[in-house]
Amino acid sequence: MSEHGEKLGAKEERKWPTKTEFTPEMLEEMEKLLPGTLNRVVTASLSGCIHCGMCSDACHYSVSIPEDKTLVPAYKADRFRKWYKSRYDWIAQVFPSFVGAKKLDKELANEMYDKLWGGCTMCRRCTFNCPMGVDYGMMVRGVRSIMQKVGRVPQHLQDTVDTHYNWGNNMAVPQDEFVETIEWIEEELQDEEGCENFKIPVDKKGAQYFLTLNPREPKYYPLTIQATAKVLNAAGVDFTISSRYWDLTNYALFNGNDPDARQFALWQAEDVKRLECEYLLAGECGHGYRALRWELPNWVGGVPFKITSVMELMAKLVLEGRIKTDKSVWDGHRATYHDSCNIARSGGVTEEPRIVIRAAIEDFVEMEHNRENSFCCGGGGGALAMPEFTPRRIAAGKIKADEIKATGADICLQSCHNCTDQLKEIIEHYHVNAKVMNLAELLAPALVL
Amino acid sequence: MENNVSHALYILQEPVQYMALSFMALMYIIKIRQMLKKPIPPEKAELKGDRVAGALESLTNVLKPWSMESTRKNPFFYAEFMIFHIAVALTIGATFFIPLAPSLMTPAVSKVFMLFMGLAFLIGLRRIYRRLTVPEIKIISSPDDYFAISLMTVFFAVGFVAMWMWIDGNPDTGWMWIFFLLTTFFLLYVPFSKISHYILYPFGRVNFGRTFGGRGVINKDVKNPTWNPK
Repeated sequence: MSEHGEKLGAKEERKWPTKTEFTPEMLEEMEKLLPGTLNRVVTASLSGCIHCGMCSDACHYSVSIPEDKTLVPAYKADRFRKWYKSRYDWIAQVFPSFVGAKKLDKELANEMYDKLWGGCTMCRRCTFNCPMGVDYGMMVRGVRSIMQKVGRVPQHLQDTVDTHYNWGNNMAVPQDEFVETIEWIEEELQDEEGCENFKIPVDKKGAQYFLTLNPREPKYYPLTIQATAKVLNAAGVDFTISSRYWDLTNYALFNGNDPDARQFALWQAEDVKRLECEYLLAGECGHGYRALRWELPNWVGGVPFKITSVMELMAKLVLEGRIKTDKSVWDGHRATYHDSCNIARSGGVTEEPRIVIRAAIEDFVEMEHNRENSFCCGGGGGALAMPEFTPRRIAAGKIKADEIKATGADICLQSCHNCTDQLKEIIEHYHVNAKVMNLAELLAPALVL
Repeated sequence: MENNVSHALYILQEPVQYMALSFMALMYIIKIRQMLKKPIPPEKAELKGDRVAGALESLTNVLKPWSMESTRKNPFFYAEFMIFHIAVALTIGATFFIPLAPSLMTPAVSKVFMLFMGLAFLIGLRRIYRRLTVPEIKIISSPDDYFAISLMTVFFAVGFVAMWMWIDGNPDTGWMWIFFLLTTFFLLYVPFSKISHYILYPFGRVNFGRTFGGRGVINKDVKNPTWNPK
């Protein structure tokens, strides 16, 4: 085995047994799994809806596809709620149809599959507009976990999780190939003017920041890594990338499988400890940020290091004057920023990206709905890994495309790779004249070295 | 005002109400206990904001229509909501004040109660119409939703008329009988109905406030901004 030829991921390869339809045995198993899903948040969310309909204007699906009323959040959640009521609602035990309860059967299970995998990105915008505080994100993840456990999960989404499980990253990038890619990116970076001495350290023990990446970056977007490394080097940040568990994504957040989510988090936490880093630094990735910053400590039972993100770190570098910028490189351009749901609404990072943007470009315009009120672009919740729902995903992105168009911006910034792919698709589909970029790609060219 | 009523109406207004109220309390205790037995998801991440402040902020957002886009953009709907729920409180209050503290129910006070009952009746009618005609509301409505709003609307109408006659010096009327029979029915029925959502409201709002308060999403004035982690 070469220096970087380590087998990462689980010792024994696994392929989750997925099913193409619900069987009576699966429904029976789901009945057994339901009680274990009902924590206080999920239970309050299932029993608290009063059908006021205030959520109907909050969802990008129901706003973008108004002709389909079955995409209203309360209706979608009711597919799960009907089943819950049939088990736990007092009146439903005598008069089930009076309270809209329904025993779990194949028809209801199919509706749950359609609406709660393919009609909800768990963006929680409806949650923020619900008078009762119903947490649709937690509720939908709960029912997804039940369906996933019995094998009824979108195949491609499950394949992504299985790949992560088997390889240690979700695109099956072998360790030696990853290290070679980083070395190549470092060379490219050093070819840039003023960057001759810039480094992308791999496995540097004791580095302050343990930088994590989305596997799409080494695979398809190496320039993003290059831009991020350029910013960090320019500011003199002491960072490293691990040759082992560098993937910050955690698609088990989407398919609801907690043991897998915990396993992926544990690998990464152990790797941060191995390299003795002070911070686990999430790259620009929406769900990855949330999975690391807000979920990882819960999945692994607490961590001895701090967790932050490139978005926050770049803002800190700007505010501390550790990087100097020349905004004129972006003269003639107008930028807008799309708040990823997991970074803003579920993550609390709303001002930091704007600090970075204002340091790099003069002409910045907000979309009508921004920060925690931002509409989901349609690419969240694992939607991009469910090709069977692609037409609905593109249709649901209309409100976001309209808002980008209304700003007149020719640069649409974001900090998430799922958002990147979705925004690129809807921008093309709805004929919006804007280029999709992440924050490091905006900041790096504006650096004064 | 005085509440000179027959012995039969007295039985309905007091002992029967107390028994029904005790039943309701028992059902609510069971409901709350069931909820409290559910595990709370852990939070071991370093907090950015304050979970307690977030919970308080979330609990009181009912008084801050600007805090949610759904109420910010629908001020008329929010005003209806407030009037309706104030009327609920006053109508329930009337069922206590009339038998127990009739002297508090001066004509002026009674007229304020009646004003809210009357408005709530009209709002109830509008809400029924909305549920029947707005497609996205109709599609999510169950018979319980129609029954609950209809029952409340009738309750307000009956209460309005009963009080009207009461301040005219007729405390023992058929309307008052219906009003208290409906109250008894409510006390027995509400714990099983969606009308008991006010018991669940604190759970939902506290859950929301703790999660998003801790993450610094609500309560923007965070002590520990993430760009400067300590």
